[in-house]
Amino acid sequence: MTGIKKLVKNQIFIPIAALLLLALFNLLADPEFFLIELGYNSAGNPVLKGYLVTILDYGSELAILAMGMTLVTAASGGQDISVGATIAIAGSVILRVLCGTDPRPETMQAPIIVAFLVAVVVSMLCGAFNGTLVAYFKIPPMVATLILFTAGRSIAAWINNNALPIVNDPSFGYFGNFIPGIPVPTPFFIAVVCMIIMALILKFTTLGLYTQSVGINESSARLNGLNPQFIKFLSFVILGVCVAVAGLIKVSRISTINYSVVAKDIEMDAILAVALGGNALSGGKFNMTASILGAYVIQFLTTTLYKFQVKSDALPAYKAIVVIILVVSSAPVVREWMSNLWKKITIKKQVKEVG
Amino acid sequence: MKKRWLAGILALMMGITSIGCGVGVISPGESEHQGTTNTGRIVVGFSQLGAESDWRSANSQSMRSAFTKEKGYEFIFEDGQQKQANQITAIRTFIQQEVDYIVLAPVTETGWDNVLQEAKDAGIPVIIVDRMVDVEDESLFTCWVGSNFELEGQKVAEWLNQYAKSQNIQPEDLHIVNIQGTIGASAQIGRTKGLADAAKKYGWDLMAEVSGDFTQAKGREAMEALLKQFDNINVVYCENDNSALGAIQAIEATGKKVGPNIAEGEIMIISFDGVNEEAIQLALEHKITCIAECNPLHGPRVEAIIELLEKGQKPDKFSYVDEMIYSANESVKTLTIDDKEYEVTIITEDILTERQY
Amino acid sequence: MLKNKIKNLTDTNLLLAITIIVFFVMYISAMVFLGEGFLKPQAFLNILGSNAALIIVSCGMSLVMITGGIDISVGGVVALVSMCCAVYLDHHNGSIWGAILISLGIGLLFGLVQGFLVSYLEIQPFIVSLAGMFFARGLTTMVNTNSFNVKHEEFVALKDTRIVIPGLGSYNRLGKYIDAKIEVGVIVAILVVILLFCILRWVKLGRNFYAVGGNPQSALMLGINVKRTKFYSHLICSLLAGVGGFVYFMHVGSGSASHAMGMEMDAIASSIIGGTMLTGGVGNIIGTFFGVISLSTIQNIVTSVGLDDAWWTGITVAAMLCIFLIIQSVVMARKRKAVKG
Repeated sequence: MTGIKKLVKNQIFIPIAALLLLALFNLLADPEFFLIELGYNSAGNPVLKGYLVTILDYGSELAILAMGMTLVTAASGGQDISVGATIAIAGSVILRVLCGTDPRPETMQAPIIVAFLVAVVVSMLCGAFNGTLVAYFKIPPMVATLILFTAGRSIAAWINNNALPIVNDPSFGYFGNFIPGIPVPTPFFIAVVCMIIMALILKFTTLGLYTQSVGINESSARLNGLNPQFIKFLSFVILGVCVAVAGLIKVSRISTINYSVVAKDIEMDAILAVALGGNALSGGKFNMTASILGAYVIQFLTTTLYKFQVKSDALPAYKAIVVIILVVSSAPVVREWMSNLWKKITIKKQVKEVG
Repeated sequence: MKKRWLAGILALMMGITSIGCGVGVISPGESEHQGTTNTGRIVVGFSQLGAESDWRSANSQSMRSAFTKEKGYEFIFEDGQQKQANQITAIRTFIQQEVDYIVLAPVTETGWDNVLQEAKDAGIPVIIVDRMVDVEDESLFTCWVGSNFELEGQKVAEWLNQYAKSQNIQPEDLHIVNIQGTIGASAQIGRTKGLADAAKKYGWDLMAEVSGDFTQAKGREAMEALLKQFDNINVVYCENDNSALGAIQAIEATGKKVGPNIAEGEIMIISFDGVNEEAIQLALEHKITCIAECNPLHGPRVEAIIELLEKGQKPDKFSYVDEMIYSANESVKTLTIDDKEYEVTIITEDILTERQY
Repeated sequence: MLKNKIKNLTDTNLLLAITIIVFFVMYISAMVFLGEGFLKPQAFLNILGSNAALIIVSCGMSLVMITGGIDISVGGVVALVSMCCAVYLDHHNGSIWGAILISLGIGLLFGLVQGFLVSYLEIQPFIVSLAGMFFARGLTTMVNTNSFNVKHEEFVALKDTRIVIPGLGSYNRLGKYIDAKIEVGVIVAILVVILLFCILRWVKLGRNFYAVGGNPQSALMLGINVKRTKFYSHLICSLLAGVGGFVYFMHVGSGSASHAMGMEMDAIASSIIGGTMLTGGVGNIIGTFFGVISLSTIQNIVTSVGLDDAWWTGITVAAMLCIFLIIQSVVMARKRKAVKG
């Protein structure tokens, strides 16, 4: 009895319950959902196929973003809505460095790692811009990031002079698809590496603790000798790094970019992942694992809907319903009400037993 | 103290406004384009619908290079970003600026009556390019320049018909999916009709019509969904090059092959536009089997019309640009549609180098 | 001297003054430097015409922002309203009154649900309206995926109705006198602005909005029903999104899933430029009105000076937003210091 209660109270319960529910639904509707088979892609390399692989593939970029978004949410009590636009900038920068001035070069003009590092620096700058506005100018995060949200895709188009560069080198495609000989999609490995780095940072530095204390009570954090402004700033810069990684995956998938479509609405999914992980969107305590799990649940949901022939345009409506159910059931007011109800039932039972 | 404050605020405001105006100072020609009659230049306002594909970019570029300052034109370009409301606003702005000619590449066919009436009242001739407008009173626009989209569709369909005959493929064995353009666009309507009519006429198995929105990303998404839905697709009819590129990526990602040999399990890709170099390249590699050209070079045509109008002459109300059909496959040499013969241009490296775009 | 003056100005009025001054400086310099495109009254009326819906929606947004909330579902609601009206009028040959009822009904429904979730279940407004936006957008494509123009006769007549404003017309280059005209939507927008301005200034509910946004705890102590006030703000906002949806529909005359894309962000931006603060408690409807037209004017200026590539608009709007946010932040910080000192 208490075990169940403890589990329900645990933060990670929400995403796990959602995941199980979705899995159960798919199992009943069509067990083929869980089928994974080994196939070969056009280059003749073995690749794993199936809906679960798709979830692992596309959920990974979301998980990377969700990690950064969790930190931002915890520290600043707000969300960064510019991640999609910043992905466009990062992707555009990568292609600009790789392709040089010619939009369709025969060979890459620079090593991929250089392009990636430049993109990391650029998106860290974007993060720093957001962070400065939030931390030092005290502008609410959603509003501060609205600036880059509005301008980001325009800047991305401007970086490449509105051309759509294409990278011909197949090795560039490895990051978003498959490395020859390895049948698991690369984004998953990238996400795992990011998770390990993040786990190490949280374990061996005080970042996590400081972030939470700033999010819970900024002034008491200051009184305890922390620098809340710098920690907020830092969280945005870290999100910038996550964005650059996601941007690399995004452009690598198709070896080119479409400024107005790339990573569209991904900020919403990333924020949802954080919310689904049971983290308070008003800041404070956070649970990184729950957020990551939340990201995969969101992708699970998306893939499930796709499987049931839901058109990509109509997808948001179903997502909205699921989200509302989730947030309503996890709202403190509703939870209190439910637990009261539960108590009443159990008390009645006990009364009956006694009687 | 008070003055310092006020001065500070004012200076800031001037700063903001100078963002807008400063650029006008840097390039001396810019602020002149309102003084239409003073400079003697002909002012042309062009409302382009967006920049969704390579075809569109080539089209905009062609306009820009046709109306240069050297030739005595002042060219104002407005990108409508795929929204009719933006384009209507742009036309209204042109009317306010009293441009001499308005060129409109409309995003959809209907809903232009009102704003075109305003242009007519203001005495500004309107030239429609590319897609058509559907207005009750055809005198609202001066003339139209563009492609015969249905003919493009017919050409490709006829090519497919003859190819199937030459390879002894039964019509009911052609399992076709159509990745459509933006629904409601003239190119989509014409090309979809061209295929649908032919499918009915020859008894092809046209399994699905899904919109790919003329973009690579959407084309890929649509094809991925179709591949999950059907396992016997052997012809993909893409209504522009960009969606064809997306479709090819989706097909190759599942490990299937694209190419003309349907009998050997390859999936045939048919496409339109022929503007994108990558698409032509793919056609050379036989990955895209057949491309119906859609000529984006409207600039010179429109310029010729404006010259005619300046001289006080009347141009043709509707004029079609000449278009070819490309293929790297030599099975079909000529096509006959409505008693008119069209030669199939066998694609070679030269086409890439000889073309003007 | 000025210290006292600034101290005496309320936060709301100070930010409002900045907005109005910036707008006039901007518009007048545009008239001086760019000439004809801005000189004629009709040019200004065109700005009003194409932004009537945005003005209405932004008013609702400001209201929610004043109470410390946010509603990002408004763009979706506008799209849903225009699609439903378009389908109703075109495919079912409905009446105009029916369409207006549909618009209000959709707005009311979104307002009731979102308001309830935000105020009584205490879920963050961002998440609630995010779901609302997803829902509205998705529903729009389910109603109809195509983009089509409405040919309903009465509606087309209403859409093309223009109200002549005497004395503001001008001669065109053919020497013909053309009257200055505005669309019906502009009248609706101006009525909404005046009505909301009065409510916020003189009606108790309006004062409550400021109190709740400024400090919910003290509002509670003052005996204000905080939950109900928040509920009303969301209700009014969504209702105005419904009204704005119909005005938008009258302006574009078509239904499309891509309508009003990003309108919520434009509305938020306009409110901020108009001096509404997202932290709540500060804002003014007149400021929002100027915020919308400033935003549109700067876009016109950008294209007029020949920066015609699409990305310039996005970048300038963002730059303007950024400058305004920083001005607000600095001004408020200074003022706080002045008050304390």
